[in-house]
Amino acid sequence: MSFFSYSVTKTIKNVSLFIVGLVFVILLYRFYQIQIQQHNKYSGIAEDNRIRMVTLEAPRGIIYDRIGDILVDNKFQYNVFIIPFEVDSINKCYQKLGEVLGLDKEIIEERVKKNWRGRFKPALVAKGVNMQVLSRIEEHKLEFPGVIYKLDPYRSYPSGVNLTHVLGYLREINSSALKRLKKYGYNYGDLIGWEGVERQYESILRGEKGYKYVQVNAKGRILGDLESKENIQPQPGNDLYLTINRELQDTCERILADTSKGAIIVIDPDNGQILSAVSKPDYSPEIFSGIINQEVWDSLSNDPDRPLFNRLTSAEYPPASTFKMMAAMGALENNIVDSAWSVNCPGYYKLGRRTFKCWKEWGHGRVAMEKSIEQSCDVYYYRLIRKMDLDLWAETVRKFGFGEPTQIDLTSENSGNIPDKNYMNSVYGKNGWTEGYKLNIVIGQGEVLVTPIQMAKFISALATRGKLIHPHVGLKYFDTEKFRTFTTEKDSIESFTPQTWDIIEESLYEVVNDPAGTANLANVRGVKVYGKTGTAQNPHGENHAWFIGYADNGQKKVAVTVFLENGGSGGHDAAPVAGKILKYYLKNIWTDNKTSGQNNG
Amino acid sequence: MADRNINKLNKLTAGMFLVVLMLCMVGLVAVYSASSNVDQGFFQRAIGRQVMWMILGAITASIIFVIKGELLFDISYWIYGAGLVLIMLPYISPLSAGTHRWISIGGFNYQPSEIMKIILVLTLAKYFTTTKISKSDFKVLFIPLILTLIPTAIVLNQPDLGTAMIYLLSLFPIMFWAKVDFVNIFILVAPVVSFLSAFNFYTFFIWLIIVVSVLYLKKIKLWHFILIIIINLSLGSVSPLLWNKLEPYQQKRILTLFDVNSDPQGAGYQVIQSQVAIGSGGFSGKGLGQGKQTHLKFLPEQKTDFIFSVIGEEWGFIGVTFVLLLYFLMVYLSIKSAYRSNNQFNTLVIIGLIGVLFFHVVINIAMTVGLMPVTGLPLPFLSYGGSFLTSCFIIVGLIFNMNRKTDRI
Repeated sequence: MSFFSYSVTKTIKNVSLFIVGLVFVILLYRFYQIQIQQHNKYSGIAEDNRIRMVTLEAPRGIIYDRIGDILVDNKFQYNVFIIPFEVDSINKCYQKLGEVLGLDKEIIEERVKKNWRGRFKPALVAKGVNMQVLSRIEEHKLEFPGVIYKLDPYRSYPSGVNLTHVLGYLREINSSALKRLKKYGYNYGDLIGWEGVERQYESILRGEKGYKYVQVNAKGRILGDLESKENIQPQPGNDLYLTINRELQDTCERILADTSKGAIIVIDPDNGQILSAVSKPDYSPEIFSGIINQEVWDSLSNDPDRPLFNRLTSAEYPPASTFKMMAAMGALENNIVDSAWSVNCPGYYKLGRRTFKCWKEWGHGRVAMEKSIEQSCDVYYYRLIRKMDLDLWAETVRKFGFGEPTQIDLTSENSGNIPDKNYMNSVYGKNGWTEGYKLNIVIGQGEVLVTPIQMAKFISALATRGKLIHPHVGLKYFDTEKFRTFTTEKDSIESFTPQTWDIIEESLYEVVNDPAGTANLANVRGVKVYGKTGTAQNPHGENHAWFIGYADNGQKKVAVTVFLENGGSGGHDAAPVAGKILKYYLKNIWTDNKTSGQNNG
Repeated sequence: MADRNINKLNKLTAGMFLVVLMLCMVGLVAVYSASSNVDQGFFQRAIGRQVMWMILGAITASIIFVIKGELLFDISYWIYGAGLVLIMLPYISPLSAGTHRWISIGGFNYQPSEIMKIILVLTLAKYFTTTKISKSDFKVLFIPLILTLIPTAIVLNQPDLGTAMIYLLSLFPIMFWAKVDFVNIFILVAPVVSFLSAFNFYTFFIWLIIVVSVLYLKKIKLWHFILIIIINLSLGSVSPLLWNKLEPYQQKRILTLFDVNSDPQGAGYQVIQSQVAIGSGGFSGKGLGQGKQTHLKFLPEQKTDFIFSVIGEEWGFIGVTFVLLLYFLMVYLSIKSAYRSNNQFNTLVIIGLIGVLFFHVVINIAMTVGLMPVTGLPLPFLSYGGSFLTSCFIIVGLIFNMNRKTDRI
């Protein structure tokens, strides 16, 4: 074999030996530094002392409204921890500390176990302890080595608005989330955004923990910072700006009584920025900022009105008459009828043996398209849908983004339901459903389900002649040196003819402004208001009320969605709510110079 | 000539044997001291287990010693394939401690990536022995690079940064001793440096000047020259783009790899305690079993990764110097025997294997004094633990084996 005739040159050997020798000399020199030159420093530390590593929690980013008013801030409180490694007698320590804190020994044991981050790291046992307790801990310090306390940030809500379901809240991370997020540096006992914006923008809002190294003697006395090691300062999270207008939010929250159930969304139809979002009943986010009182939690989660439920994105209800435009637009676009096509409404419509009633018992008389929307005539749509294929109707509805999430930057969004032939076949069987079902669907009842946020997207599209906005509450954030604005996708319905939009616009105007229209109560003097009401029949109780509409001052538009669960009728109950909001908007925002806040993003 | 070589080699083997024996003694004393306050039966204690592992290791080494060198040469590509399968095994067994490093055989946990360190050396040694390396041809270097990068990528994913580093590093002494031209090694490494240095414009600029001058001085073909410059330039210009695409947490994870003072999982704490222990040992140490930091258990991982801190505290600078000297002798004697050998495969195997041990020693000890990040690489013959100790004995067995081969010529 050829490789037997091989020999290495002396150079290779010598270079290798030189490198190896050099490395050992460098190592030895390092030991000389530490053991001989710095011996005194280290032996001082070493005697009976230990080094304690304390984490410094980073404050989360502050959340502002669009103008810069603080919505969520940080305050600081004293938290108590146990460093397991430094505890000499677990029993005695837990017992004593329990007496001071007023907690059972078992609870302390459980919290140490739950918040365990390693032997050398402090485990959280109590949050927000007061000065009295602190001074008692200080007094008894020698009796429980390993117990420390420090000042940590927590969330506070100084703005006076609730904005509950948008802001969300923080919670201690649970084990399944931890498994997923360990790689991002999360650890037991860490707080994490659990709902709403706090969750959605967790990575922006979250700060970075710092570390502090202190020298402690055997009795637990702190001797000072460790000189040889620089402390790592915590990095606060980035400040976040929402599209919400705090004052408008305050107004909207007041307009809906605390006892009512429902949702309000005020949105800029041109760009999808949500100016106000209310889901009632709500609660003050303050209750989640400290240790959650079990009673408060139980009362929230057991409340039959479901205050924890985010109605903005999760509530799925029939849209009722607000959906009549769908059949109208579908018919116009597909040349099934023109806007002059009319029917006679005697107050009812007979299909086979069944009679379908119009909401107006004595009938609307002769009705063409615009009047059918303005006065919300049911019979017109019964007749219209008889001429239309269900799939054609569903296709028109889906163009506006129904049946799928709007991808709003909030948690727990539902898709709603838009029935087409496939759906009906799968639910009722191929021959199990008849034309009668279509009559129910066309007036937005029965299987048709939508969420308030989808409705906000819908009315925005009507207000802008087809712009499909991406509703969002995140405006921008401040990233160490500059603002970064969130960009959202934009889409639009291109296929509709201008004539279709003209007819819809004209009809929506009449709904609010014609004395015979259903939403006169949404009318505001000084600005053009457009809209449509809806009243969803509810066999189990009071009807659900809808109003969707927008105001146009010639330069700018603003869209309002009002949904009242068991709230009565669209015209009587939902429309005046929108009227009040638009009135406020006209008076305080469009006439004010605060409009500057509306321009960004 | 031949007689002189045999004599020398016998001496080298004997010297090496003595050094390893002394290292084992040092290790036992240190492990004993680090765990002496445990009151259990001998074989339940760390020290007892370590003795047991050493006996098993010595037996394994003896078996390895009598294997025919030609056989190792013949099968090295086959065992390379088997080794790859082995290091993939932990992925199909359940996660332990959040990583895919271990497999469990008969109650013992074993880390297959350990044995791959040895297999990789055998494979690379065979490749460079059977491939003619000409001065200007750096194309042949791509195969060994791939051979090394495959297992490196697998263990990096486990994740085991330390072992990945060892795989990658072991390539270099083998290439150097296989007489691969320095410039070719340089060309191979240059893109990596370009990629990393590009985060700062000036470092990148200076680095490019170095690259250009080295290539110019070596007078390589013009189109090679242009190609290499283009590769380096383009890698340098992509890296900032790639970097900016990473999420902040990913950036941070990469940064912590290079920053000794960063603190992943409180590793900074361990290093500080280790430095305090070593520093307080002073010139002559606190004496056996007297290390306060050790015995108050302030020092984490003292039996395994931080065993050298125990020696530093209890034996002082004198003890440290002594142990470092032993390690230097171990490397020195191996290099000598590699040099004496006139069989390229044997030479390269010895160099590769001693390289593996050398890198362990340096990375581990540098870690205890805060010169390198905490990677979890144990210290040969000293750290407590079976997997790695077995590998060390196999390595020594192989080095003796390679020496013996030459003896016969």
